[in-house]
Amino acid sequence: MRNLDPRRARWIRVRMGILCGLLGIGLGAVVSAAFGIQVERGDEWRELAEKQRQRRLHVAPKRGTVYDRNGTPLAVSVEVPSVSVDAVEMFRGVDDRRLPAMLDEASQRIGQALNIEAAQVRDKLARRRRFTWLKRRVTAAEVSAVRSLSDPRQPRPLFGMQIEGEGRRYFPNRALAGPMLGFVSPDGEGKDGLELQLNDELRGHIEEVRGLRDRSGRLFFSEGIQDEQALAGHNVYLSIDQGIQYVAEQELEAAMRTYEAASGSIVVVDPNTGELLALASMPAFNPNDIERSDLAARRNRAITDQFEPGSTIKVFTMAAALAAHVTSPTQNIYCEEGTMAIDNVVIHDTHVSGWLTPTQVLAISSNIGAAKLGLGVGEQRLYETFQRFGFGERTNLPLPGEVAGVLRPRGRPWVQVETAAASFGQGISVSTLQLAMAISAIANRGRLLVPVLVRKITDGMGNTVNENPATVRREAVSPNVAQMVSEMLVAVTEGEGTGVEAAVPGFRTAGKTATAQKIDPATGKYTADRFTASFIGFVPAENPRVAIAVVLDEPGITHAGGSVAAPVFRRVAEMSLRYMGVTPKGSTPAPIASVGKEQDPARQAYDLFKSQSHPEAAIRPANSAAAPPTTASKQVTDVSGLPAGQALRALLQQGFIPQINGSGRVVRQQPVGGALAEPGATVQLFLESGS
Amino acid sequence: MSVWAWLRNPEGAARFKSGEVDRVLAATIIGLIGFGSVMVYSASTIEATVRFKDPEFYLKRQLVFAGLALLVMWGVSKIDYHRLRALTYPILGTVTVLLAATVIGLGQRRGGAARWITVGPILVQPAEMVKLALVLWLSYSLAKKAEGIKTFKIGLIPHLLMAGFFIVLCLRQPDFGSAVVLAFITFTMLFVAGARISYLLGVGVLAGIVGVNVVMSQSYRVARLMAFLDLAGHRQDIAYQPFQSVMSFGSGGLAGLGLGRGLQVLYLPEAHNDFIAAIIGEEMGFVGVILLAGAYLLVVSRGVRVALRARDDYGSYIAFGISTLMGVQALVNLSVAMAILPTKGLTLPFISYGGSSLLVNAAAAGVLLNISRERTEQASAPTMVPLSVDSPEASVAVMTAAEEGSG
Repeated sequence: MRNLDPRRARWIRVRMGILCGLLGIGLGAVVSAAFGIQVERGDEWRELAEKQRQRRLHVAPKRGTVYDRNGTPLAVSVEVPSVSVDAVEMFRGVDDRRLPAMLDEASQRIGQALNIEAAQVRDKLARRRRFTWLKRRVTAAEVSAVRSLSDPRQPRPLFGMQIEGEGRRYFPNRALAGPMLGFVSPDGEGKDGLELQLNDELRGHIEEVRGLRDRSGRLFFSEGIQDEQALAGHNVYLSIDQGIQYVAEQELEAAMRTYEAASGSIVVVDPNTGELLALASMPAFNPNDIERSDLAARRNRAITDQFEPGSTIKVFTMAAALAAHVTSPTQNIYCEEGTMAIDNVVIHDTHVSGWLTPTQVLAISSNIGAAKLGLGVGEQRLYETFQRFGFGERTNLPLPGEVAGVLRPRGRPWVQVETAAASFGQGISVSTLQLAMAISAIANRGRLLVPVLVRKITDGMGNTVNENPATVRREAVSPNVAQMVSEMLVAVTEGEGTGVEAAVPGFRTAGKTATAQKIDPATGKYTADRFTASFIGFVPAENPRVAIAVVLDEPGITHAGGSVAAPVFRRVAEMSLRYMGVTPKGSTPAPIASVGKEQDPARQAYDLFKSQSHPEAAIRPANSAAAPPTTASKQVTDVSGLPAGQALRALLQQGFIPQINGSGRVVRQQPVGGALAEPGATVQLFLESGS
Repeated sequence: MSVWAWLRNPEGAARFKSGEVDRVLAATIIGLIGFGSVMVYSASTIEATVRFKDPEFYLKRQLVFAGLALLVMWGVSKIDYHRLRALTYPILGTVTVLLAATVIGLGQRRGGAARWITVGPILVQPAEMVKLALVLWLSYSLAKKAEGIKTFKIGLIPHLLMAGFFIVLCLRQPDFGSAVVLAFITFTMLFVAGARISYLLGVGVLAGIVGVNVVMSQSYRVARLMAFLDLAGHRQDIAYQPFQSVMSFGSGGLAGLGLGRGLQVLYLPEAHNDFIAAIIGEEMGFVGVILLAGAYLLVVSRGVRVALRARDDYGSYIAFGISTLMGVQALVNLSVAMAILPTKGLTLPFISYGGSSLLVNAAAAGVLLNISRERTEQASAPTMVPLSVDSPEASVAVMTAAEEGSG
């Protein structure tokens, strides 16, 4: 400033100095503020920032697949897009006066894009949450509509909407094995059945992927998602054979409809490995459509229901007796001509007999014979043998709700009557699975196996993480005894046996029927009209390949295990053997299409009723006032005008044996309605179709 | 005589020989521009990827601007600043037209403010130019009026009217930050030139009252002010930016997360622009903030040194005006980023993304560098004794060297 007077120049410099001082103070303030923020409170801020951007990333790995033994998928997960919204982001910076208008407009547009009610959208947006599902499982068209709404190049784009893939469980075979597989809730958690029990394995590791989330909710990955395969849920390989499962369910359903049973279950086991080939339960449900299934249909009755087994338990009573040398196959047993009193009760037999061989005791299912054997074995030994066959304990299948059954319902050793009753299956309860495993033990030379449902579990990379090989639980009886019992059981399905309906053509079939009365829960007494019909057995008897337990609860039309459950056993066994490629010796297998085909229903019913034997209460109070129905004549009900089914039921209930001629409705009957006839007499029905 | 020769060689060409520019100042500014490009890249990658599918979208443009800025700085430093006297009114006129155009609605709106206008293919922000233009005009006028500055009629009123005109235009955009900077510059230069303190105080009080009224009359400003007073309470809405910015500074701690590792870019809108300081704070920590502040201290002190050593009062005024302009903008920007002041919308000189700001600041730096050239009178003996270098400035120079070494 040489052009200025030095005094003025100096003043200018002084003033510049003052201003520089002010700027310096400002700089000092900024630096000290930076020190305060960064050095003194830096950790707090960093924590806050990390909390803000780090998201517990719900990269739910793909849920594992459930396969049957042949690799057919039974439950798979598919990705379905869902739309969510961050309502805070959507209306960031919008002032309160304009908000209602914006809300209206946004919900209108979103509602249109997603085909949902605008009012409903408005409710969700108005809550201004950071995360709300707008619509789950949207279509491809809806996805693109949402995308174009949030496109920043559009006029007035809507921000904060997210499209995320959500795993949805899909059961390709619909209701097949539904009660066993269970179902999965929309958020990917197994809620019932196998899906619940193996949820941790199937769901996979929800490893917390370190994700960053920006202000508009977009996600970023600094490291990239780990190998998705490694995160994915484990795959589960079942021992179930889809084909056998299907046959079992079909036959069970057909039988339930034919005999108007309330429910039923079938367990098919490979007796050599303990692997479950089918685990069927009816009524069933479709796990794809869980909302419309009723609670009763979700039960897997093969393991959750316990019931009094009735005559099927005689197999194990016999095994106990042979093991204890109480009897031998050649030693005859006196069956008291149909009635035997123990203490204050009388035991009855359906087939009144005198001397029977042990084989005959099983074949015609003598309660008295079984009771004598049981009493001979003794309470302790009989109880222990039942236990050794797996009754009264859980098998620990990976399924929820398994029951143990009850051997000593009063928690103390049986008294004599109870021992006798237990010998023929009353006063104790078992599950279908237990029966199947126990009969498998007979088939497998006395060795009780651990039931296998899950053969192996592999991780997403295909490495096996868990394998269940065949495991012997214990030797229930010696191979010798098992061999003798299985020979006796063949007699059941032959000749005079109660289970001839179960005989699989071309094979020697071992098995046992049961027609167990149910206890009326109201009175605590055995009812005369509610039964559990069952059949257990295996085939071929000399080299067993399948063991099957069939249980039908409260069949309405007829109830003998031999007529209701045995045919189901036969058809399931026949089909299973075919699936497994087992052919009868010296014969060529019939084409698969001809197997299991329904016969003429009228013919079938006719055959059934012919073989029907009149059941009665096995135990009745000794001094019961009720006269035995075998002696009194009854008036024959007039059934004219009724359809065949109703007519049959009415007559059967009275103890008559109807014979059907023709089809349609009853036009004539012989003897006529109101006539006296002895129970057991045949009533001829003549039917004509209504047209 | 070509225009360029005219610009370079004023009538005094025979009498003077231009010397070298202030190398420390030039190096610091070039360093800041380079550092700015790096930080723009670091702060903009994610947004660029998301919006343009090109992580280098902003970097490429900033590099082009940086290249242009260096050219402009070099070119302007060659123009003898005395020539600017003749250019004062053309510049002022052009800028006024542009600014007025944005105000009357020819500008581009962004975020509720029309601060930009398209000139040919480029988008310019006239408010940035106004600041430099006003400095040039005030220097010209104050130097011309010399002792007359002390009077009310000649010294005060014309300057206040001119400044007031631009301030009002800025407020109309609205651009409160630029208006405040213009007011500050006007007062600074009037004060330096020797206006009466009593007048300045009076006008200051008056301006304060008007300012408060302006703030109170606009609801969004009141809301911003309230939000500023209660940051945490408004962290989700109106105080979102300052809150995130402070969070960003804080997470840097002492040494920072490391260049390119800042994550607050995810949350800070304008991270590469007005809030780039927050990213510097996060990635380079308190150390980085100190070095940055040191760099600006160096620029301002070297600029003031130029002002003190300028040959004439005109050059001195320009140099001081430009220095304080840079200093104040940097201070305000840092203060806003640390939530010491309410949000303004001022850029961080040489660092923030944006062509207008960078080019205008580069031009200003060019003027400053030209003034810094030592001019020796050829006719007389070339034994000009240079003024002694102050010792604190030397220590700052060491700091700058250290920063450039680390950056």
